[in-house]
Amino acid sequence: MSDKNREGKRTARERMLQQRAADEARGRRKKQLIVGAVAIAVIAAAVVTGVIVQNERSTPETPTATPTGTIGEKNLVIPSGAADAPSVLTVYEDPRCPACGSFEQSFVQTVNELQDAGKLSVNYHIVSFIDRSLGGKGSKYGANALACAQDAGKFRAYHDVLYKNQPPETADTYGDKAALIDLAKQVPGLDTPAFRACVNDNTYGDWVSAVQQDFDKSGFKSTPTLTLNGTPIYPKKGDEQISPENLVKWVDEANQGKKLGTTGSPAAQAPSAAATP
Amino acid sequence: MLSGPATEWIGLAARLGLAVVWGWAGLAKVADPAEAAQAVRAYEILPESLVKPVGYGLPFLELALALLLLIGLGTRLVAAVSALLLLTFIAGIASAWARGISIDCGCFGGGGAIDASKTEYFQEILRDSGFLLLALWLVFRPRTKFSVDSWLAAA
Repeated sequence: MSDKNREGKRTARERMLQQRAADEARGRRKKQLIVGAVAIAVIAAAVVTGVIVQNERSTPETPTATPTGTIGEKNLVIPSGAADAPSVLTVYEDPRCPACGSFEQSFVQTVNELQDAGKLSVNYHIVSFIDRSLGGKGSKYGANALACAQDAGKFRAYHDVLYKNQPPETADTYGDKAALIDLAKQVPGLDTPAFRACVNDNTYGDWVSAVQQDFDKSGFKSTPTLTLNGTPIYPKKGDEQISPENLVKWVDEANQGKKLGTTGSPAAQAPSAAATP
Repeated sequence: MLSGPATEWIGLAARLGLAVVWGWAGLAKVADPAEAAQAVRAYEILPESLVKPVGYGLPFLELALALLLLIGLGTRLVAAVSALLLLTFIAGIASAWARGISIDCGCFGGGGAIDASKTEYFQEILRDSGFLLLALWLVFRPRTKFSVDSWLAAA
């Protein structure tokens, strides 16, 4: 036999091995492609499901149940003071926000006096984002309780009580509904079965979420945010630092030559038909 | 490709470690859709029309990556997607830092505007870079112990 034949056998075997290796490689590649396709399908399905499910779960930006007498396009604003007062103070506050607590401590008397004199009406946006960063429910439940107090016509008094008794930011005292009901006892006539049920059922939970979503989109980044007739005044108006004296001065300046609002009892409710600022 | 038994054990650790990271990050963002959307909005990068889809979809993307890493299916591809996502996060955080806006990264829930004194951009980027190393390891050494991938390869 010749070398030629031996060589031929070897090349045949090599060819066969090569063929098998190629087949295996093709099989492996096919397997990898299928695995990759499955992984991508799982990811895509998860994302699509997520968008649909979360869209379904998210609370609407326009709430269906709103507290009595709220104003604005989506009834997200709680008005306080005479609706026809010449100046409007817009306040964004979170029940748990310590800076709001210290603002209230220094300004509550002045703001109430300005309202009672018919010089100022206040539009409250009760936001609830501290819960997000610190956990807990105090912002949301506190905001709901304030909405319940608005239903009872006692928003301002209860608002003042909540800020006067505000716990440290990290303590989630207002996440305890019993604590919120307990504080309502300090407002004559507020601690009724209707109020208790409203607090315990978190009746305005969706409204509270809508107010917060509105704040999310507002571009304002912290609380308290204060505007007087649309001009930001916290912590400064122009170059002037906010103080109770300056607030009175700014309001008087803005009100020059204008008719004062109809003063009444401080708890008077602004009609819901009141124009938005 | 270098792959000894030791590398496959390291790969298993990287795979499960990254799975825990994605699982944790995803779960923390699922509970409150509005919060997740706001965390995205706070970066001031995406237009409003994309804020909700991204805020709603991202946690589920993370959970899908966690699941695939946990069982070890398509490890290289999933690790590559993970690396890409982490690079996006790092770029987003760096961009917020460079533009001087004060936000929480919202990486594990939370998010949104915070006080300038409370920003932790450097730590957040460092942490995500650590996760990126895990992902890159798996891109280059996708063979790991106890994975569906290796079980399929043997089948």
